[in-house]
Amino acid sequence: MGNLKLALFLAYKSMVKGNRWALALIILVMSLSFANLVLTPSILSGLTNTLDQQQVDTLFANIIIDPEPDEYYLENASQNESKIAQFSGVVGISSHLDSTAHIEYQWREKEVPSDKGKSGTWSVVGIDPDREVSVTTIHEHIIEGSYLSPNDRDEIVLGVEITGGGRAQTSPFLTLDGVRVGDKVRLTYPNGLQREYRVKGIFQAREMTRADRLAFVTRNEMASVLGQSVFHDRASQILVSIDPSVDENRLIKELETAGINGEIRSWREYGGAMSGIVSSFDVIASLISSIGLVVAAIVMFIVIYINVLNRKRQIGILRAIGIKRDVIIYSYIFQALLYASLGIIFGGLIFGYGIKPYFELNPIDLPIGMVSLTIQPETIQSAVLGLILAAVFAGFVPVISIIRQSIIKAIWGNA
Amino acid sequence: MSIVKVKDLYKIYGHGPAATQALRGVDIDVVPGEFVAIMGRSGSGKSTLLHILGLLDTPTSGEVLIDNKDVFKMTERERARFRLETLGYVFQEYSLLGEMTILENVYLPALCLDRDNNYRKRAEAMLDTVGLSERLKHYPNEVSGGEQQRAAIARSLINRPAILFADEPTASLDITSARNVLELFGKLNRELGQTIVMVTHEPEDEKYVDRVIQLKDGLVSKESQPSVATT
Repeated sequence: MGNLKLALFLAYKSMVKGNRWALALIILVMSLSFANLVLTPSILSGLTNTLDQQQVDTLFANIIIDPEPDEYYLENASQNESKIAQFSGVVGISSHLDSTAHIEYQWREKEVPSDKGKSGTWSVVGIDPDREVSVTTIHEHIIEGSYLSPNDRDEIVLGVEITGGGRAQTSPFLTLDGVRVGDKVRLTYPNGLQREYRVKGIFQAREMTRADRLAFVTRNEMASVLGQSVFHDRASQILVSIDPSVDENRLIKELETAGINGEIRSWREYGGAMSGIVSSFDVIASLISSIGLVVAAIVMFIVIYINVLNRKRQIGILRAIGIKRDVIIYSYIFQALLYASLGIIFGGLIFGYGIKPYFELNPIDLPIGMVSLTIQPETIQSAVLGLILAAVFAGFVPVISIIRQSIIKAIWGNA
Repeated sequence: MSIVKVKDLYKIYGHGPAATQALRGVDIDVVPGEFVAIMGRSGSGKSTLLHILGLLDTPTSGEVLIDNKDVFKMTERERARFRLETLGYVFQEYSLLGEMTILENVYLPALCLDRDNNYRKRAEAMLDTVGLSERLKHYPNEVSGGEQQRAAIARSLINRPAILFADEPTASLDITSARNVLELFGKLNRELGQTIVMVTHEPEDEKYVDRVIQLKDGLVSKESQPSVATT
């Protein structure tokens, strides 16, 4: 019988007729190690995925068309929108007409008009509510009141980080400190125009960077503020959402080739600070995975080491019979590989049929949003590879240390 | 022509003032077909000598020729092969592998040697010889101590070794089992011409052997032939 076959025979007998509790414990440790190796990166991937998705859903959609670098606005926005709508894979288009405004609350109660009071300066976005719902999900995040209607003129929807109050993360002095639906706010635009709006709705998208610090009015209202005659067909940005099956970059190239006016970019180019955070999470995920792998390797090493120590006498007897060292080493590596394989299978089952469905039904409610697991194929690959390498190491080292002892010492524990 | 030739064998444990000389220049010869008992008090060096002869331990100095081969000039790998092919070894305590049946324990060395595909039949025949044909499928913990030791003897003989070493093989057995094992050794020696070197401290075991080598303080103190003396 060849060395490998003999090693397999020894490994098989050792596992099948060995201590069943030890076998069960080793496989349990392997399974949990595998589940842990997949779980932590998957939570962090879920977190970054949530952050990415929030940016798409609340700020940028998939593709953003900006004015050329030397322009402030896109001209003939409606014509551009019609052209874009003809491309296959486009599922929504919405033009934004942006400005900033100094927003005040309870301004009449200020004793000195120049006092800051409850006020601040925020971005105000003019939207067509009917079109906007096809590119962003702000309307789904209304926590009080309701979303804008196309004909609204003196109504405004505010992000929760503007309104302030108990639900905002921002310090009260940086918000309007407790605006409620139905309250009046006064906006002073950069052109000096002042308008009062009734707060129609408050939303909380939980996007970390900007979304909850935005105010929305209708596009018609914004055009009237900026100058109806000039701005009625201008846009600061056009957001385009696409079918998930469509390749974003391919569509961008097609739009560019078709001569759509403006700078056409993927949402990823707008990641900005968030892309740094996402990269940081990736680094953290790698670090945690590495530590998890080291911990798993150590745990496996200890469990297999104890198992091998318990078989020290058996190893001595095998050597006394005349079985080659290589065969004994292979047999323990095979055992370790089998432990790892069973651990991966059971760990995969625990993860696939226990942990993953649980998180799908009960996503983690974090301040940035609901986070579920995102399982990347690379995570599974590295966990499988890591566990197998750790198992081989954990199987190899203890048996080598015992095989280096004299046969007498291995059998009777003395020199 | 000796099958085992030991020349000026020393074994020293430890270093410096704490060093202990277990063997201090042992010389012995064993001829093929001989049944030799090595006897002596505890600490006389008899087990150390057998461990060295069985290639389980290495000497500090001296020469050991088995089957005309200087075994301690061999590499570890060669020694393992030599143990498997040429030597049989029976331990004092039961030394079967608990996760294998009696039959598997016996044919394991044959499996490693890969001489032929008849290892199972040979193992069954060997177990029949030692009176365990009814215990093939049993695990070691399912049979008595005497039966385990007989299975260990069968295992040690499966590769038809040139010489069988036995280290106090009856020490863990009751009187009846011990007698059975010794009678089995006698039978193997007489009927198959098996060379056997056995360490024992039981004076009554002398009646089964051709020659007794007495060790004292790591040296051969006396040699005798009990069977000659009694006849």
